[in-house]
Amino acid sequence: MPTKPNSGLFKRNPPIAGEAEAIELAKQGDAEAFSKLYALHKRRVYTLCLRMLGNVSEAEDMTQEAFLHLFRKIGSFRGESAFSTWLHRLTVNLVLMQLRKKGLQLVSLEETINPSEEDAPRRDFGSPDLQLTGSVDRVTLERAVAALPPGYRMVFVLHDVEGFEHNEIATMLECSTGNSKSQLHKARLKLRELLRTPEQLAPIEGVGGSQKEAVQ
Amino acid sequence: MSDLPLNLDPNKMTVSEFKQYLPELAAAGAGKVSEDARFTGFFAANPDCLALVKDLETIADAAKSLFEPVGDPSDKVWSNIASKLKQGGGSDD
Repeated sequence: MPTKPNSGLFKRNPPIAGEAEAIELAKQGDAEAFSKLYALHKRRVYTLCLRMLGNVSEAEDMTQEAFLHLFRKIGSFRGESAFSTWLHRLTVNLVLMQLRKKGLQLVSLEETINPSEEDAPRRDFGSPDLQLTGSVDRVTLERAVAALPPGYRMVFVLHDVEGFEHNEIATMLECSTGNSKSQLHKARLKLRELLRTPEQLAPIEGVGGSQKEAVQ
Repeated sequence: MSDLPLNLDPNKMTVSEFKQYLPELAAAGAGKVSEDARFTGFFAANPDCLALVKDLETIADAAKSLFEPVGDPSDKVWSNIASKLKQGGGSDD
């Protein structure tokens, strides 16, 4: 199945004023222009890294790597997609490479990034009296996502948060679309479990606690 | 109906079959499973399944709110980048 040209991340982002000029200048090695690109995109890149890695320190290291990589590769940006989309994909690939280096094999999702039995969602549905109330607090959800096993977290973030399609995720993770769908389902089941006992979820260092807003 | 086998009647399927096909149903992108008229009878007979589906849909909806950035990286990130760029445009490759 072909990948939609502008699907996935940043599709909700409008063009940014001054970005095109900064890109062209940065391609010529203009440090100030590169600094502007950093200022424009650091939050998105950092947030993506934080959600995929679940750790502030690693997310900052990866943000640094992503922008250094961007500096080296910006000459190859042809404008065929939005710059933010291109940068986002570059970042995702770097994070995945980092996770592979750390020993998380992504070749076969089903066999290698499935969590241990105790991390996996329970097979029963739970009883209705434990049903979520129909709204989930954003901060609590952030914490629950951070508590997911890495393989689940990755697919959940890529699909449900960033908006990638299953076929795109399958390409990135080198697995089948069926695996991607299955992992996403297990991730949501695990989140449901975690959200039933929110008091047990650890706060995420560096993530603002002032965004406590219910999301319908 | 491409999300279900052609020979599977939604009103006659078992809970186990529903669980088996739920990942595909949820990924089909044809609206919410909880509001899919094909499953009205099934959900009436299996309220736990409806509760599960609604919870998973709530989670998926709430996930969209996480698209917004959570905050900035610390200043040391840019300091490190600027320092490495001064040293020669980054590192390896």
